[in-house]
Amino acid sequence: MSNMEEGISALKGMVGEANVASDPDRLRAYSIDGLSPQAAVFPGSIEEVSKVVAFANERKLSLAPRGSGTKMSWGALPRKVDLVLGMERVNRVTDSDIDNLTLSVECGMPLAEMQKRLAKEGRGYFIPLDPPFGSKATLGGVIATNATGPRRFVYGSARDQLLGLKAVLPNGDIVVAGGKCVKNVSGYDMTKLLIGSGGALGILCEITTRLLPLTEAEATLILPFKELEGAAKFVREIVHSKIFPAAIEVFNGTAMAGVHSEAAAKAPYSVVFACESVVEAVERQIAELGAMGRKGGAVDVTTLKAEGHKAFWAALSDFPLALRQRDPNAVGVKANVVLSKFVEIMAAAEREAKGRGFDIALVAQAGNGIVQGYLPVGSDAAAKAGGIADFFGRIVAEAVKCDGNCIVEAAPRAVKEKVNVWGQPRSDSVVMKRLKEKIDPADIMNTGRIVA
Amino acid sequence: MMEREKMIQELAKIVGKEDVLTSEMQIRLYEYDASLIRSKPDCIVLPSSTDEVSKVVKFAHDHKIPIIARGAGTNLSGGSVLTKGGIAMLFTRMNKILEIDTENQRVVVEPGVVTLDLKGVLAKHGYVYQPDPASEKVTTLGGNAGENSGGPHCLKYGVTSNHTLGAEVVLSDGTVVTTGGKSLDNPGFDLTGVLVGSEGTLGIVTKLILRIMPNQEAVKTMMAIFNSIEDGGGTVSAIIADGIIPATLEMMDNLTIKAVEEAYKVGFPLDAAAILIIELDGLKDGMERLSERVAELCRKNNVREIRIAQNQAERDKIWAGRKGAFGAVGRLRPNYLVNDGTVPRTKLPATLKKVFEISKKYNIPIANVFHAGDGNLHPLILFDERDKDELRRVHEAAMEIMKVCVDMGGTISGEHGIGVEKLDAMYFVFTPKDLSAMKKVKEAFDPDGIYNPGKLLPPLTKAA
Repeated sequence: MSNMEEGISALKGMVGEANVASDPDRLRAYSIDGLSPQAAVFPGSIEEVSKVVAFANERKLSLAPRGSGTKMSWGALPRKVDLVLGMERVNRVTDSDIDNLTLSVECGMPLAEMQKRLAKEGRGYFIPLDPPFGSKATLGGVIATNATGPRRFVYGSARDQLLGLKAVLPNGDIVVAGGKCVKNVSGYDMTKLLIGSGGALGILCEITTRLLPLTEAEATLILPFKELEGAAKFVREIVHSKIFPAAIEVFNGTAMAGVHSEAAAKAPYSVVFACESVVEAVERQIAELGAMGRKGGAVDVTTLKAEGHKAFWAALSDFPLALRQRDPNAVGVKANVVLSKFVEIMAAAEREAKGRGFDIALVAQAGNGIVQGYLPVGSDAAAKAGGIADFFGRIVAEAVKCDGNCIVEAAPRAVKEKVNVWGQPRSDSVVMKRLKEKIDPADIMNTGRIVA
Repeated sequence: MMEREKMIQELAKIVGKEDVLTSEMQIRLYEYDASLIRSKPDCIVLPSSTDEVSKVVKFAHDHKIPIIARGAGTNLSGGSVLTKGGIAMLFTRMNKILEIDTENQRVVVEPGVVTLDLKGVLAKHGYVYQPDPASEKVTTLGGNAGENSGGPHCLKYGVTSNHTLGAEVVLSDGTVVTTGGKSLDNPGFDLTGVLVGSEGTLGIVTKLILRIMPNQEAVKTMMAIFNSIEDGGGTVSAIIADGIIPATLEMMDNLTIKAVEEAYKVGFPLDAAAILIIELDGLKDGMERLSERVAELCRKNNVREIRIAQNQAERDKIWAGRKGAFGAVGRLRPNYLVNDGTVPRTKLPATLKKVFEISKKYNIPIANVFHAGDGNLHPLILFDERDKDELRRVHEAAMEIMKVCVDMGGTISGEHGIGVEKLDAMYFVFTPKDLSAMKKVKEAFDPDGIYNPGKLLPPLTKAA
């Protein structure tokens, strides 16, 4: 421990006295799966991040990066957490090249704050990412976990939007990947390697992303359906049409109740579209989607515009945040399957959850084949852990049948002890392990938490 | 490395005697690609299955023999030339479309499928695979993945890596793994993302899982003709800054226009300084208004004439001119060297100006035809390789253009890759630390360095 005391004073020398927390009471807020770090360090620049990481590497101290803390439940149980590396102070905009439609910004910047600033620039712009925890998440956390949202259907994910990034590798090296060109094949695509790498290969410090101008017109359509099958059939028709809405989501009643209670009251399932385009195209989308929906069995069509539209998607984005505030033990799972099979996963998840007494909330990105499920747990996590692990095993098996997989995104320790949070092991994990060993030989980065 | 005769015998045991090519003539057919680099392979093998690929790779691995997967040999940076000898692996026998899964908007293909052949088949289903390299008539999808190919429509739809979601990969010891998949977001690192564009240095792909999309409802193709190249460049910057993302935004300069017109008679005015090909796609609603906005921006930048394709035939004609540009320019002099430095879109006019200065400085004609909306230049430096002094000036001019691109905040390659030709230019962009990180990736995939050795990654520090 005296070693650690000396270490803490060294860290204070690097980032400033006020930017190292080592008081056990304060550190509890930074614990990961119940494991408290010995210190939380908040560097103020990429150079400081580099120093802290190099120091940790020399001493083989395990490091867990952290943005605003919305994803700390991600990953398997850590084998060790010595330092939490808080990135919130590394948050400057370093290059705003609006005419080129690119932006470079440090990773501690909250996405919502950045979007707010971009909306006020000239004609108004945005970063085409709309992940969960949207009001709170930092860019670093969003990119490290490759979090995506409904509008991925037209805009793609971080792997489509990011042009470059700057990261600190475990040896403390500050490395630059990509740049601000929209095409770049100079060397290996390290940007793609680091997106979604969960802080296991390096600390994401700065990203360069594409920007898009705010669209001329926006609207939301909510179409409630009595049966999941009917909703799925309708969605299939739209996915394969030329209408290209910006988002196609399917909710079950429990999820819809948390986002838009009026719609939830109308029928047990809802198909929701976001339309974003030029005025004429949005008007046509509203008319056609509505008409096709009614023909396809929708019991109602609600159109939201302006603030109503914005509020709906903000509420969806913050749904897991609100849930976790009510129920810190709530379990989050994410299944990824071929896009036509989202309905199989929704049906299986409802059946398997109900059978075990859980009222699961389900939201599917129907055009992307992503299904998010949220299980309320409440206080008695240990007693429920077996049932949840069982449920998860069933969903993994079902997802694998649908050419995909399923992971646990959040769960109490008791559940994580019983499952492989990364779902079915994959054949390419041999390469992932070798990459991890090459880049992080001392295994200090998020030790034990990430799939490789 | 083992004796050549023995190598050939062993390979024949794996793929069959008729699928190992060894004659002097055959060897010479595979000593080049579309760059200026030449070097002979020791032999050429044509596997017919993943299993055969795996066995050949295992054999190469055990005997430390370099091995390169080759597609159609259209590589523009020397990436598919066997500069250290070894085995050239061809995929002409692995050219099947294995699955067209419109329900899930995916196709599964073998690497030898020709890009345009896939598109032709998909068109019958009302679907499209978006990447469209100019050479798509001959390039293979495996080659496209190796180079992360672009093309005009990448402006709106992204490059090959954005449409490649998974792969069956033979690792350097012969192990076969699957990266990614038909579904998105498979757990773990994005190995597919790293493999695409790795120029055959990390793995050999035996199957690709690609994204397909329903066709757009409406397309509008316009040709804007300018009397000055600056006005053309200025229009590109203005369109992007106005927040319009067309499907394509392509540009040609006068030298290219003349060459194309001479070769194809597509109706380009011979005295134009620049032509922009602008294509919009999407729902038909609002498209008239959007194209009028584009026309307005052209007029603000002194456009001389705007022609709008009235039907598919007119559209095809415009694109034939663009897609045939390299070939047309190739008729002007015995050789050309093409670079593909890329700059931020706002820096396009300034960069073009520099390219013209460099052309003058070295007294070599340079034709420009490029993906303007992406800031992706293609200066075609024209010369005769028999003139040694000219050849030297060509290489110096090429390096200087790449340096200019980097100084403008850009990079040395947008889509053609590093290969051998741009190895030295890597130091313009990357520090030893950046290169060291990439080297670790190489070592993780291919610890013995048998896959396409000597390409893409230069030594960490430049030799004095």
